[in-house]
Amino acid sequence: MRAGTYVPFVTSGLQSLLQYRSTFLITGVTAAAGAAVTVFLWRAVYAGSTGPGPGGFTPAGVTTYLVVAQVLAVVHANRVDDEVAAEVYRGDIAVMLVRPVSYPLVRFAACLPVIAANALLVGVPLLALFAVLVPLTVPTPVDAALFVLSTAFSTVIAFCVNLLTGMAGFVTTNTWGVRMVKQGIVSFFAGQMVPLALLPGPLHALAMVLPFRAMADGPLTLLLGRYEGVGGASAVLGHQLGWAVGLVLLCAVLWRAAASRLEVLGG
Amino acid sequence: MNRTLGGHLRLAFFLGGVGLHRLTAYRLDFLLGSGAFLVRVGLQTLAVGVVFTHVPAVAGWSYHQVLFLLGCSLLPRGLDHLFTDQLWELSRKLIQRGEFYRYLIRPVNPLFSLLSERFFHPDGFGELAVGAVLVLWSGAELGLDPTALQWALVVPLVLCGALVHAAVKLFFASLSFWTVTSMPAMQAATQVSEFAGYPLDLYHPSLRTLLTWVLPFAFTSYAPAVYLLHGSTGLVRWLPVVTGLSLLAALSLWRRGLSRYEMTGS
Repeated sequence: MRAGTYVPFVTSGLQSLLQYRSTFLITGVTAAAGAAVTVFLWRAVYAGSTGPGPGGFTPAGVTTYLVVAQVLAVVHANRVDDEVAAEVYRGDIAVMLVRPVSYPLVRFAACLPVIAANALLVGVPLLALFAVLVPLTVPTPVDAALFVLSTAFSTVIAFCVNLLTGMAGFVTTNTWGVRMVKQGIVSFFAGQMVPLALLPGPLHALAMVLPFRAMADGPLTLLLGRYEGVGGASAVLGHQLGWAVGLVLLCAVLWRAAASRLEVLGG
Repeated sequence: MNRTLGGHLRLAFFLGGVGLHRLTAYRLDFLLGSGAFLVRVGLQTLAVGVVFTHVPAVAGWSYHQVLFLLGCSLLPRGLDHLFTDQLWELSRKLIQRGEFYRYLIRPVNPLFSLLSERFFHPDGFGELAVGAVLVLWSGAELGLDPTALQWALVVPLVLCGALVHAAVKLFFASLSFWTVTSMPAMQAATQVSEFAGYPLDLYHPSLRTLLTWVLPFAFTSYAPAVYLLHGSTGLVRWLPVVTGLSLLAALSLWRRGLSRYEMTGS
């Protein structure tokens, strides 16, 4: 199967995106407000400390962590869960199964422009806004490069998590509740609400076991240079790669199982 | 005959019951959805707990004081959820799909008829329960001893807070009479209301002003909380005025929208 087969899905994804330009503004306002809550809260915690405070973060470091975590969340809001859930709910998924293409790959192709647009139109302005308002840490070129690579891995993981959430529709039909639960759990265990290094013992252990830390905490560890040499950096990237491969396989297996038991009412 | 209070109550129960019936169509998802807010509030409480494992106080607020404030913010929010969530449907699709006319051809007030289609959805009860537990538990931990006046004012404070929430929702939902759908604006307003779950003292003064005098969510949690915790009445004395003005603004926008509503013919 050639990659060229999926190019039309990328362009159609881009076209449907441009119909709803105002959503970018709203995504931006929502993300800015969400980041502001956590930034104000944690800056108050670090207000007294001049050097490294709890978890070894400086005030600028913890601010950078929280703001960039929110930017990553915007990039990961690729709408795959909404789209898959809607197609399962309406039964349109049957039409997709007739086509000689892989449905998960179609969804991946269609979400690429969403990711790019979210990153450029929401993520970058959000970062710029906070850079003006509060002091942020400037990463070294090496750390920045590792962050970009790590963000690419995290994007694959976010795609898989959202695809699995949408596929829950095969079991529950309506997925509003599933998506709400997913959003809450991901935002906490990825590190958006609390930097994971600050979690107490058992909670920290749980966060280390779950895959979600690869979505924000992993890239941020690299961005802020919070790792020990080459070994430390490759441990972060290895963890991400492991989960990315594992989740892709899980998606493939579950998709086959789901497609074979799918039932759609004829109209 | 429907113009009596009893008639309205009967109608509200009937329409609300129909709405609840509709919910049970997707039982598993509905259960997950009702549990979702528990997960969210639980994680928010957990995040507050983590903050206080590192510092004894934030912006002059102790752990139990912050939880008390969080509980205070949940009570009016839950009460509002129980009665006005149909406004989300108004902003999302009722105007866009031309379905709104059904409220205009019924012999009752259109706003009442609209809202009563979604009374008593269970997630509101959950917020009320968690809010009450947080307020009572952290209040006990703080050794709070409210005066008779403070006890008497608890219900009016929660009620006014719920009315402020409802007014903001009605205002943004009514915008859909002009913009066809106003869901994004409503989502943004809801996101702003999340600020009210934490002490206002954390925020930049401009944000504080916004939350107090523009989108007055401070009056749903911060103002009652500082009154009940410290007895300071500086903000809370404005609560009746703010509630009244918010409702006035929302209702007049709703009326203007209603009078310019035109159905899409088909």
